[in-house]
Amino acid sequence: MTATVTVSRRIAASAERLFDAWLDPESLAVWMRRDGSAPSSVVADRRVGGAFAITMNDSGGSFVHAGAYTVIDRPHTLEFTWRSIATHQVDSLVRVTFTPDGDATVVEVRHERLPDAEAVRRHTEGWTEIIDRFARTLAGNGDS
Amino acid sequence: MGEYQLDSVLSAVADPTRRAILDRLRVSDARVTELAREFPISLNSTSKHIKVLERAQLVHRHVRGRDHVLSLRAEALGDAVAWMTQYREFWEQRLAALEAFVLAGDPEAGDPEAGDGRADDAAPPSSPDDAPKGAAR
Repeated sequence: MTATVTVSRRIAASAERLFDAWLDPESLAVWMRRDGSAPSSVVADRRVGGAFAITMNDSGGSFVHAGAYTVIDRPHTLEFTWRSIATHQVDSLVRVTFTPDGDATVVEVRHERLPDAEAVRRHTEGWTEIIDRFARTLAGNGDS
Repeated sequence: MGEYQLDSVLSAVADPTRRAILDRLRVSDARVTELAREFPISLNSTSKHIKVLERAQLVHRHVRGRDHVLSLRAEALGDAVAWMTQYREFWEQRLAALEAFVLAGDPEAGDPEAGDGRADDAAPPSSPDDAPKGAAR
């Protein structure tokens, strides 16, 4: 069994600007990180089939999030596979859509094919440690 | 097998009657008609609540002859929700950071280094840095 998570946010910027901020490695390094942590390291081969790797750095260590672009349709849709320690190094799929809404843009992230906790537990010992570690990387985000 | 949809799970358990039904099913399986008798709601209303719980995969319906027997399917629910919530928080925080980034860097929203005030003014009425309030705890 897998899981899907959908998150959206209306942001007062153009779809083009937001799309570019997501695809440009230098921009990604600035915002795709935990608040208050050092910038991430990003390498990206920005074409369909091209791979990327985002190394997020925080006090708990470095966490690599890697994948490959499957759809690059500026400024509407960006889709890529996504694997990390949190997906148990299994490929999941992230689809980001940019929908103009007045003078803003609704950015929606749909993260599919996530292995759920039950599925992972069948394969992994020490799962609790992993999820705790992931939780710690997320904790403390909100205060900056 | 199906797929957990966090939104459907969360909206299913957001309703007090549905939470009460889940609590009841934790004790034992029950027929739809039994639930309708035990709860101060109509059979029709009970059925609607049960359909919501079924869609969220929290409840399973076995048909035994003319009886529709419901059982709880929530063994892994706590884990599944916790798991998906972590992902949701991750992306909510990333989108908040994306917003802060583009507003700070937008030529119309002020200087990237000194433009905090104007960037905040330009933001929609949500907190740019901390959308999932307290959720990271």
